Parts: sequence; structure tokens; C-alpha cells
Amino acid sequence: MLKSKKHVFWEAFIITIVIFLAGIFLGMLVETNNSNKISNLYLQSEISFADTVASSGLIENSDFDCNIIKQNNIDFANRIYAEAKLLEEYEASGKLTEGMKLLHKKYDLLRTLVWTSNQKSLERCNNYNLIVYLYEYESEDIAKKATQNVWSKIILDVKTQNDNILLLPIAADQNLISLDLLIGKHNITHFPALIINNNKVLYDIENTATIEDLLN
Amino acid sequence: MEFLTILYLTYTFIAFYFLMIYVLTYAQNRKQMYETIEPEKILSLSIVIPCFNEEKSIAKNIEAFLASDYKGLKKLIIVDDCSTDNSYEIIKKYAKKYPRVIALQTPKNTGRASGAKNFGIEYVKTKLIGFSDADSLPNKNAISKMVGFFNDPKVGGVTSRVFVNSPKNYLTKSQAIEYKIIAFTRKLLGFLDSIYVTNGPLSIYRKKAFDQTGGFDENNLTEDIEVTWHLVSKGWKIHMSIPAIVRSYVPTTIKTWFHQRIRWNVGGIQTVAKYRKKFFQCGMLGLFIMPFFMFSWFLGITGLFFLTYRLTKYVMMKFLVAKYSVASQVALVSMNDFNLNPSILFVFGIGLFALGALYTIVAMLHSKEQGRFIGHPFRDIFIYSLFYLLMYPPLLIVSFYKYMRGYNTW
Repeated sequence: MLKSKKHVFWEAFIITIVIFLAGIFLGMLVETNNSNKISNLYLQSEISFADTVASSGLIENSDFDCNIIKQNNIDFANRIYAEAKLLEEYEASGKLTEGMKLLHKKYDLLRTLVWTSNQKSLERCNNYNLIVYLYEYESEDIAKKATQNVWSKIILDVKTQNDNILLLPIAADQNLISLDLLIGKHNITHFPALIINNNKVLYDIENTATIEDLLN
Repeated sequence: MEFLTILYLTYTFIAFYFLMIYVLTYAQNRKQMYETIEPEKILSLSIVIPCFNEEKSIAKNIEAFLASDYKGLKKLIIVDDCSTDNSYEIIKKYAKKYPRVIALQTPKNTGRASGAKNFGIEYVKTKLIGFSDADSLPNKNAISKMVGFFNDPKVGGVTSRVFVNSPKNYLTKSQAIEYKIIAFTRKLLGFLDSIYVTNGPLSIYRKKAFDQTGGFDENNLTEDIEVTWHLVSKGWKIHMSIPAIVRSYVPTTIKTWFHQRIRWNVGGIQTVAKYRKKFFQCGMLGLFIMPFFMFSWFLGITGLFFLTYRLTKYVMMKFLVAKYSVASQVALVSMNDFNLNPSILFVFGIGLFALGALYTIVAMLHSKEQGRFIGHPFRDIFIYSLFYLLMYPPLLIVSFYKYMRGYNTW
């Protein structure tokens, strides 16, 4: 004869909770691991940044070769750009922890520091181009997100075709005092915006030629 | 954590929980899936069949019942609901030839099956009472495979397994798959005393239990669900006999299918509304069947909103990016668009999908009619899973709307 087996409700509930907790724990573990990976990269980048700042400080001494300083700055910017790409990937897959957002902010601050530290080098050497790409990180506006996505591709295309570009994509809405001051200094009213060599501000890009025409 | 993440996790948890109930129930009872019980004594049975404009199928239906190997089948009461075709003439012809066949006609068209069934109930004096649809064809041994469950005096009703008769197009093939999964699920629910519907094509009730319900609720569009809840609320057990097979015709066009499903859903809502006070009370009805119904709706509707929201956002984003990319002469797709780090939500989604797919395959394995591995080509299962199931949530929303507007048309 058939017997009722209502204990299955509890068994299923417990198994579901166990699987869920294990899944969430595993997810948090993966996200924390990703966060640690980025943190380690960031630490190395901080050291490299201090080195870059030190070398840029020597620029006042005219004996130093501008090409070396240029290469150092561009290499460093490229490195943190690659790290930021990885961070972006981890951020997109991170749903449980908030650590990545903080790291993103730290990288934005680091890039802001690179921007400020390059002012003198650019004036003194003028042998490379500095492109600062300011975008909105928290925007929910789909049209703006799509525009920013396409801008990223255009800028990357320009950078791929020109060796002497120092590219700094920075999230403008991170509440960083230094960044807000720089934004104010350049009278930037809305985002996305592109600052080329600290003197030209673009709010509209048609294609790669729009940027290439303004490069040194 | 974002609101959508919390919603998604809640959704996944509930869906996973229900699936886990089925998985465990199956694992613990798989050897009893096909169990039939030898009747201790032959209980007398009358079958009531409502009929409205069924001249094409009624003869086959009567003959299928006449061929039944169950010795206790005393009467076959065919109630014609004032058909405008030749149905009643055919029924009378059979009544003349076979003394077991009783031909009845309602004084005026009742407009729904429950009206004709209630009319026929008055003529039933047997220990068991069964109901069938005029377009359903039970196997010869279907009734014999059901009646043994009545050995248990607490059993008030036994239902059969419905197969779709001659599925031809994708819609009927999808329904054939759906019916098999429903039957498998219903059998599992039987182990939990939680069968929530005794189907129209063939269900048998203990007359004493059925009389306690006062007959079918003629204001309800799904009288078979309502009567089952009524029986369960009165403490009767319902069982399902997997080997008792009845074949039935199903809608062949989207329009008729949609109409049928609206009726089923509105009937379900009417039933929940009628028994709302039993929520979390009254044994398995309030403790599982009703929450199960409600959660199924919740899952369906939130799932639809979630999917629509994400899909719309994704499509709009991709469209705008493509539009701007073309205008700016940059690549439409770049390596940066691919993320090889899946999120935990994605992993949960894949897990749920895999478990769901496994459940479907196991259900099909238990229902295969032909020699094929699971009885249906994978193409049909794919269409069923991807397109047919997606129709459920919009149907539910339309049904809620119609219910609110007082829809009550058969």
C-alpha cells in the first residue's frame, strides 16, 4: 500500500538550504579571491606609480631623456588599463560582495594621480599624447551606457594605431575630491567627455578621425 | 546586494525547493510509480459522460468504455447537453443496443460540462462514480488499474494518466510532452497526498465521498480542480494510477489552446479564491497544495518580469551599441564584450536548468509510448522547453486580468 512520505518537505528544504549556502559561500569565495587578485595587482601598480612619479619629478633636470619618461608613463598606463579590464570583468560577475566597487574607486584615484603627475612631463617633453576619458560609472541610462561602450571602442582603436598615447579612462562619478577639482578646472559639464593633452575637451566623437586630428 | 539579485536568488531558491521535493519524492518512491492494487472486491461503478456536439467522437468513446475489462462497470450514463449535431441520435442508438448505456438529455443547454455531469449524477446508484469526456478513449484495462486504490477506505478519488491522441503539429506535440510531465508530477504529488486535480478524461470517485461535495460547482470553470480540493478539504485521499491510460484530443490551433488555457487558469484562480480561508490550514490542501499553486504563479509571473526586463535591457543596449558602432565605423563586437567569469547567479541558473532538464527526461522516460529513448525527438522537447513553456506566464497574467473582469465563459 502507498504510504505518505511528507518528511520529504523538510528533507528538500534542508538540502536546498545546504546547496544554496554552499553555492553562496563558494560564490563569495570566488569573488573574494578575485578581489584579492586585483588588490595584489593594485599594490604592484602603486609601487610602479611611485616609481613613475619619482622619474617624472626628475624632468626638471634637462639631462634626462624625455623618451624614457614617455615610455615609462605609457607602459604604466597600459598596465593599469589591462588591470582595469580584468577588474571590470570581475565586477560584472561579482553579485554578492561590494569589494570590487571599492577597488574600482582606488584605480580611479590612481589614474587621477597619473593624470596630475603627467601635467609637467607633457609640458616639458610634449612627445606623447594624453587622453583622459571621463565616463559615468553608476549611470542607468541605457543610451549613455551604449555611447560610453562605443567611445571605449573608438578610443581603444585610436590607441592601437598610435604608440605614443597615454590613455586614462576614469569614472567621473566616484566622489573623489582631486578628480572633481580637475573636472572643474577643465569646465567639464557632462559625461562622457574626452580631454586631449589637457587642452581640448570633446563631448561628441564621430569616429577615430575626430580624435586623431587633435593628436600631436 | 542589489534588489534584482535578491529577487533572483529568492526565485531560484523556491524553484529549486520545489524541484528538490519532486526529485526526493521520486528517489524514494520510484519502485511504486507503476503500482496498481488488486481490488479486494468488485465495486459497482457508473461512468457519467457529458456530451455536446461530439458526433465525431462519442461513438468511439462509448465503445472504448464498453470494451472495458472491469466487471463492476454497471452503467454508462451519457448526458447530451442539447447538442445541435447528431450526437444524441448516436447515443440513443447505443442505448438501444446496450442495456448498460443510458441516454439522457438536459432540459436545456447548461453551457458547461459540470451542468451535464450534475444532471447525470442523479441517476447514479453505484458505490463508485466516474466521469469522462466525450472525446476521451480509455484503454481496455484503465478502470481495472484504478479501482484497487479504493481498498483504502480513506481514498475518495482516483485519477488516470492522459495521453494526447495522435499529436501531429508542434502545438499538439508540445501538449503531448506537457501531459506526460504533468502525469509524472501528479503521480509524485500523490505520494505526498497532494494531488490537486482529478482530470476530466477519466476520474473515479467513491460515491459516498463525492456526495459530500454536493456535486460539481457550476460556477467554476475547472470543476475537476474544485471538486478535488473539496474532497481533500474533507479529508479524503486522492490517488493517481499511472498504468490507467486514457487518450484524449487536445486543441490543435493556438487560438483554441489559448482559450482552453485561459479557462483552466481562471478556474484555478476561482478555486483558490473559493478556498482562500483554508490557506495554511486543513491538512495538505492549505499546507501544500494552495501554497504550491500560489508559488507557481509567483514563479511564473516574477520569472516573466525578470526575463522581460533583462531581455529588453539587453536588446536595447545591443541595438544602440550596434547603431552607434556603425555610425562611428568601429567593430560591432570586440573581445571586451566577452566575459569568461560567470557570476554565481549564472551558475545557479545553469544548475536549475540542468535539474529541470533532468526532471523532464526522467518524466519522459516514465511515459514513453514508442521505442525511442524518451518517446519524443529532442527537437520537440526543445520546442516545448523553449517556446511552449514561455507561454505560461503571459497566459497567467491574461487570466488574472480576465478573472478580475469577471470572466466566466466555458
